[in-house]
Amino acid sequence: MFYRLSGVYHTDYVSDSRIYGVPADRNMAAFCLIIGLAAPFIIPSLYLNSYMLPWLIWTAAALGLNLVTGWAGQLHLGYAAVMAVGAYSAIHAVRFGVPWEIALIIGGLAAAVIGSLFAFAALRVKGLYLALTTLAMQFIMDWVLTHSAAISGGSHASLQAPTLALLGQQITSDTGYYYVAFGWCLLVTIFMLNLKRTGLGRALVAVREKDYAAAILGVNSFYYKILAFATSSFIAGVSGALLVATFFFLAAPEQFSVNVSIQVLAMVIVGGLSSIIGSYFGVALILLVPGLVNSAVASISQGLGVQIGVETLAHIPNAIYGALIVIILLIEPLGLGKLYGNVRDYLMVWPFDQIRK
Amino acid sequence: MKTGQYIKAVALAATFASGAAVASAQDKEPIRFGLCFDISKSYSFVTPQMAQASQDLAMYVNENGGIEGHPVEIIVRDHGNEPQRGVECYEQLKREGVFIFNFMSTPVSNAVLPRAMKDGNILMQSFVGRGDAVDGEVFEWVFPVGPTYWQQAANDVAFIKDQMGGDLSEAKIGFIYLDYPFGQEPIEILKSLSEKEGFELELYPVALPGSDQSGAWSKIRRDKPDYVISWILSGGHVVASKEMKRNRFPIDRYISVNWMNEVDINNIGPMEAKGILRGTNVAGGQDIPIIQTMLDTYYANGKGSGPESSVRDVYYNMGLAMQLTGNEAARLAIQKNGWPLTPESMKAGYESLVEYDAEGLMAPVTVTPEDHGGGGTTRIEQWDGENWVPLTDWSAEYTDVVWDVIKESSSKYQQ
Repeated sequence: MFYRLSGVYHTDYVSDSRIYGVPADRNMAAFCLIIGLAAPFIIPSLYLNSYMLPWLIWTAAALGLNLVTGWAGQLHLGYAAVMAVGAYSAIHAVRFGVPWEIALIIGGLAAAVIGSLFAFAALRVKGLYLALTTLAMQFIMDWVLTHSAAISGGSHASLQAPTLALLGQQITSDTGYYYVAFGWCLLVTIFMLNLKRTGLGRALVAVREKDYAAAILGVNSFYYKILAFATSSFIAGVSGALLVATFFFLAAPEQFSVNVSIQVLAMVIVGGLSSIIGSYFGVALILLVPGLVNSAVASISQGLGVQIGVETLAHIPNAIYGALIVIILLIEPLGLGKLYGNVRDYLMVWPFDQIRK
Repeated sequence: MKTGQYIKAVALAATFASGAAVASAQDKEPIRFGLCFDISKSYSFVTPQMAQASQDLAMYVNENGGIEGHPVEIIVRDHGNEPQRGVECYEQLKREGVFIFNFMSTPVSNAVLPRAMKDGNILMQSFVGRGDAVDGEVFEWVFPVGPTYWQQAANDVAFIKDQMGGDLSEAKIGFIYLDYPFGQEPIEILKSLSEKEGFELELYPVALPGSDQSGAWSKIRRDKPDYVISWILSGGHVVASKEMKRNRFPIDRYISVNWMNEVDINNIGPMEAKGILRGTNVAGGQDIPIIQTMLDTYYANGKGSGPESSVRDVYYNMGLAMQLTGNEAARLAIQKNGWPLTPESMKAGYESLVEYDAEGLMAPVTVTPEDHGGGGTTRIEQWDGENWVPLTDWSAEYTDVVWDVIKESSSKYQQ
C-alpha cells in the first residue's frame, strides 16, 4: 500500500544497492529527519530534554554495539566500560584545555584503543567465553574507576564536565544539547546504513555467519573482528562523552556500571540484531518505557482516587514493563525491528497477497 | 509511654491544634516535596519506610492546620536507582512546580546535582550522600542537615578511644567496607585519625553486595583488631554476624554504620545479635512522642500510609526526622519572607534553623550558610536483645579533622 513497488526498476547493481529500495522508505526517513530537526519547536521541553535527548544518545551507543554484536556476531558484555573510557578521556582532555571537538575524538580514539586491546585478548575465544572475557573487562574498568581518584575525580568519584562548546559556541540550552545529540545520532545512523552496502559490512556478516567459511573465502576474520571492535568502541566512546556533556554534566562510575552494559545489550536484542530502526525502537522500550509506564500508573491511580501504597505503585510498572518485553519477544523473537519489517512486508504487496489466500 | 513523654505528646498536639484554630485553610496553595526514591531496586530496604514517614507526617500536619496554613503535599515517584530516570523525575516535578527534592540514591543524586545547582532548587540530603555537601559555600542548594558519614566515622573512633581508656596508640582498628564509593568514603577520615591518634588501621574491602565476606573475616581473625567498624548495608550485617561467629570475633566489638535496622536484627536473631554496636544519627525505637502520636492517631485506627511494621523501624524515624526538618525550614521561610515560598526563601529557612532537634528524633542542629550540616552529631547504641541502648551521648568529635577533609573534597568538586 504505502510501500509501492510500481515504477521501481533496478537495471544495474548501483541502483539495486541503494539505501532506500522503495520510495516510501526514503520519504519516511525524510519525514523523521524533519520531525527530528523541528523537535525543539514542537515537543514540550520536558520531553525534549529527558526523553528525546537520552533516547538519541543511547540509540547512537546501541547502534555501535549492534555493529559488533549484530553485524560481526561477537557478544559484548563490557560496552558500558568502553563508553566510560571515552567519557573520562574526553572530560580530562577538556579539563586539560583541549577544545571539545578534539576532545570528543580523543575520547573515541582512547575507547577504540582500549576496546580493541581487550579484543586482542578476547578474540582468542568465541561465543560465551568471549562474553565472559568482555564482562571481565567491565569489572576491571569498574574497579579502576572506583579506586583511582586521579581518573574519577576525588573521593566521591564524581567529575564535573566543563561546559560543552562546539565550533566556538558555548552550548548551554536544552535546544543546543538536543541538536548535538541529534547530529551525533544522525551521523552514526548514516554510517550504519551505508555499512550494509560496503565490503566491510559484507565481510562482517560473513564472519558472523561462520568465521571458517569466511576465511576460506579470503576474509581475514581476526582482522575484521578487531576492526568491528575498534569501530564500535569509537562510537561508544564518543557517545559516552556526549552523554556526560549533554545530559549528566558530571561523570560517575555508576553511570557506566555492569548493569548499564546489560541494559545496552538488552536494547540491541529487544530491538533486533543488525537492525537499525530496531535499535531506535529497542532503546525507546528499554530506556523510556519504564518511566512512561511509571507516570501513567501514577496518574491513573491518582485519577481513580485509589489509595495504593508507594511500594505497590513502584512495582506495578516494573511488572508491566517486564511483561511487555516477554510479550514482544514471544510475538517476534527477532525483535522490534523485525516486527516493523513484518508490517512493512505485509503492506508492500497489499491487497494483492489477499487474493491468493 | 511514660507520663513525661505523654505530656510532651499532648503539648505537641496542642501546638498543632492551636495552629489549626488560627488557620484551617486547606484550600491555600500547598508546599510540595518531591521524593524521587528508588523504591523498587537497590535502596528498597529503606525508601518505603522513609516515604511512609513523610506521608504520615504530611497527613498529620494537614489535619492540624498545615504549615502557616499551607498544606504539605508529598509526591513520591520511583526511579529504580537509574540516573536517567532520576533526571526525568526531577525535570518532570520541576515543571509541576516542585523545588524541594529528595533522591535517596547516590547515582541519582550525582546525576541531578549539576542540574539542581544550576536551577537553584533545594536538595534534601540528610544522613546520606556525599559528605562534603555540608560545605554550604560550595553546595549552596544541598541540605544534608544532620551528621555526615565522615562525622559518624570520627565519632566511632572517639567511642573506641573512650572504651580503651583514652589511649589509642596501642590499638588496632579494622574497617570492613563495601568496595565502592559509599564504603570507601570514611577511609580518608580514618587514615587522618590513625596518624593523629597513632592506632593501626586495617582495611578489609568486601565486594558488592556484601554477601561474600569470608576472605575479609579470616584476615580479621589473623589480625585480631580491637574493634571493627563496618560500612556495609543492611543484608551484609547478617553475613557479617555469621562470619563473626565462625571466626570467633566478639559481636560487641562490631560497630555498624547507621544502616542496620530491626529487620536485620531479626534476620541475625535478636538474641544472637545481643551486644552488637551501631553508630546512629537519629533516636531509634518508638519511645518518642511524635512516633507515638503517629501510632495512636493513625495506626491504631488502621489509617496509616502503610503497614505498621514499617513504623517500628529505625528508617521510619530517619524519614520522619528529615521531613520534620524540611517542614520546619518551610515554616521559618514563610514566617520570615511570607508566601509564596521560593527556593531562595526555603534556603534561608533552612539556614535559620537554630538548635532544632526534630521533635527529639535527633540531637539539636544549627544550620548556617557555611555549614549546611548544622554540626550533626551521632551516638553509639548497643542491642541488648530487645532494645537499642544508647552507650554515649550525642556528640561530634574531631570536627577539625572532619572539616579539613570536607574542605579538601569540596574544593575538588569546585574545580
